Amino acid sequence: MPENDRPVLTSSPETPRNRVREILSNQQFLLFVVLIALMTYFYSRNHYFFTVGEFQNIFTNFSGYALLAVGEMFVIVAGGIDLSVGSTVAVSGVLGAWVMNGMMNGHGNQFWVLTVGTLICGLVGAFVGFLNALMITKAKLVPFVATLVTLSAGLGFALLFAQFFNSGQPVGSDPAAAVFSSKAIWVFTYPAIFVILIVIVAGIVLHLTKYGRYTYAIGSNAFAARAVGINVQRHVGSVYILSGFLAGLTGMFYFMQLGSGAPTSGDGFELTAIAAVVIGGASLTGGRGRMSGTVLGVFVLTVVTFGLVFINVPPAWTQIVVGGFIALAATLQSLRPSGRKSV
Amino acid sequence: MTERDAILEVRRISKSYGSVQALTEVSFKAFAGEVIGLVGDNGAGKSTLIKALSGVHQPDSGEIFLDGVHHDWKSPQEAIDSGIETLYQDSGLAPDLTIGSNVFLGREIMKKGLLGKMGFLDQKAMEAEALEDLAKVGISVPISRRTVSQLSGGQRQAVAIGRAISWARKVILLDEPTNHLGARQAQEVLSVIEEAKKRGLCVIFISHTLPHVLQVTDRIVVMRLGQVVKDAPTSEFTAESLLASITGLAELQG
Repeated sequence: MPENDRPVLTSSPETPRNRVREILSNQQFLLFVVLIALMTYFYSRNHYFFTVGEFQNIFTNFSGYALLAVGEMFVIVAGGIDLSVGSTVAVSGVLGAWVMNGMMNGHGNQFWVLTVGTLICGLVGAFVGFLNALMITKAKLVPFVATLVTLSAGLGFALLFAQFFNSGQPVGSDPAAAVFSSKAIWVFTYPAIFVILIVIVAGIVLHLTKYGRYTYAIGSNAFAARAVGINVQRHVGSVYILSGFLAGLTGMFYFMQLGSGAPTSGDGFELTAIAAVVIGGASLTGGRGRMSGTVLGVFVLTVVTFGLVFINVPPAWTQIVVGGFIALAATLQSLRPSGRKSV
Repeated sequence: MTERDAILEVRRISKSYGSVQALTEVSFKAFAGEVIGLVGDNGAGKSTLIKALSGVHQPDSGEIFLDGVHHDWKSPQEAIDSGIETLYQDSGLAPDLTIGSNVFLGREIMKKGLLGKMGFLDQKAMEAEALEDLAKVGISVPISRRTVSQLSGGQRQAVAIGRAISWARKVILLDEPTNHLGARQAQEVLSVIEEAKKRGLCVIFISHTLPHVLQVTDRIVVMRLGQVVKDAPTSEFTAESLLASITGLAELQG
């Protein structure tokens, strides 16, 4: 075949100028600039913003949301949505607290109590994820509806369990857990260190392994993924179980913060998690986004929430600012060149 | 010339969706190094036949033989494992993945040793080998770390076909590969089909664009209402007679 007959893929070579444009259209880069600007502004308004204690607070709050957002990220990249994570935090926290409380009454060793508690919370979360997976892959419910079911029912069960275990009050009382969770290395509390490790592992799995690759492929074009032999149903199911598992661990995280399991502890968290993922640049239609973006998204949300309180802005404004960020992120996405589902 | 053994043989396969009889006792043979045009009006059963051959759907009755071996594929993976690659109309690639990731989707190159066992991908190797594989079938891709969404329609189709050809061991099914392409891009796709033929693959080419079918195929199988109505060497057809047998006019005229 003559050379000039070949289909040559020569759209816009990579010139330095294109490179600059690419960086400018990079949502993560913009997010990073926004983050620096925000922190500078808060610092200029109140110099106590840059203290170890304040950053411990920021990282601790960051950690709770980060765990949820990471699980949500997998689901969203796979083209789904998980609305149930907030309720999962509540129901796993209450059940975990009940088990841990029982162990402490039996004078269990503190380390074992917390380890078992973490496992229980993770398992309860994974079970909720499993229910989501069943509804989505077997009963063929739309993810939005399936996880709306567990969002609603999960919260109901959390309230019921709390009613049953402790007449509606937060379950269990474990001041030792709260003490442990406030111990810190520099700006990182112990639970925050665990969370950051999990986030790093999750990022590696999403970007460097076959599991992550299939997650992107399914979100990008589920038909193509099935056509090359990927077991799409099983993979999608596993992603919801993973999201539930991480939400369960978040339940444990908040148990440690509060020293008890409250049925209201995850109220509205699903929206924060989804907001962080969207602000971080992931596409709600699936297939797009990077874990570093989501982490930045959570960080920006945390800093905004903290900073505004720090400079005495009424908390209601925080919600409005967060709304503005979501609008901005969504606008940026619609400006990006789209090569949507059809090929 | 002695009668060669067919690489792909379809024997009396039927398939219905509810009360709709999509395929009725369809039979044909295909040989290695042969390009077969599969034509028919909308609803003639071409896509159903392709789905049966690629393992997406299972026929209600009938048999499929590949290299003389009876196959009963339950999933696309099983068909792929047997050596059949399929290029589906408009939806073969994941637009958000790079060219290399797409070429190796479903058969990723893993890192060596323990990392590979833990599921780590060797992205560098995939990007490099994808370029080589595409070049071998006559598609040159100077830029690999781009997502497919950044390519033009013709480029995407070239990558999709290149992937199918480089993986196919026996048969390649192309469902409307020149759809939505400009004249020049379509010719490029046709030249890639010639390349596949030279490699000794059996190409089954579905198209509504009859000039393309007449240009590139060795034999044409015409389907109408779920049945094969004509199966003859391309040289026996003219544009008019091909159209006539697709529409059924040929029989009316006797």
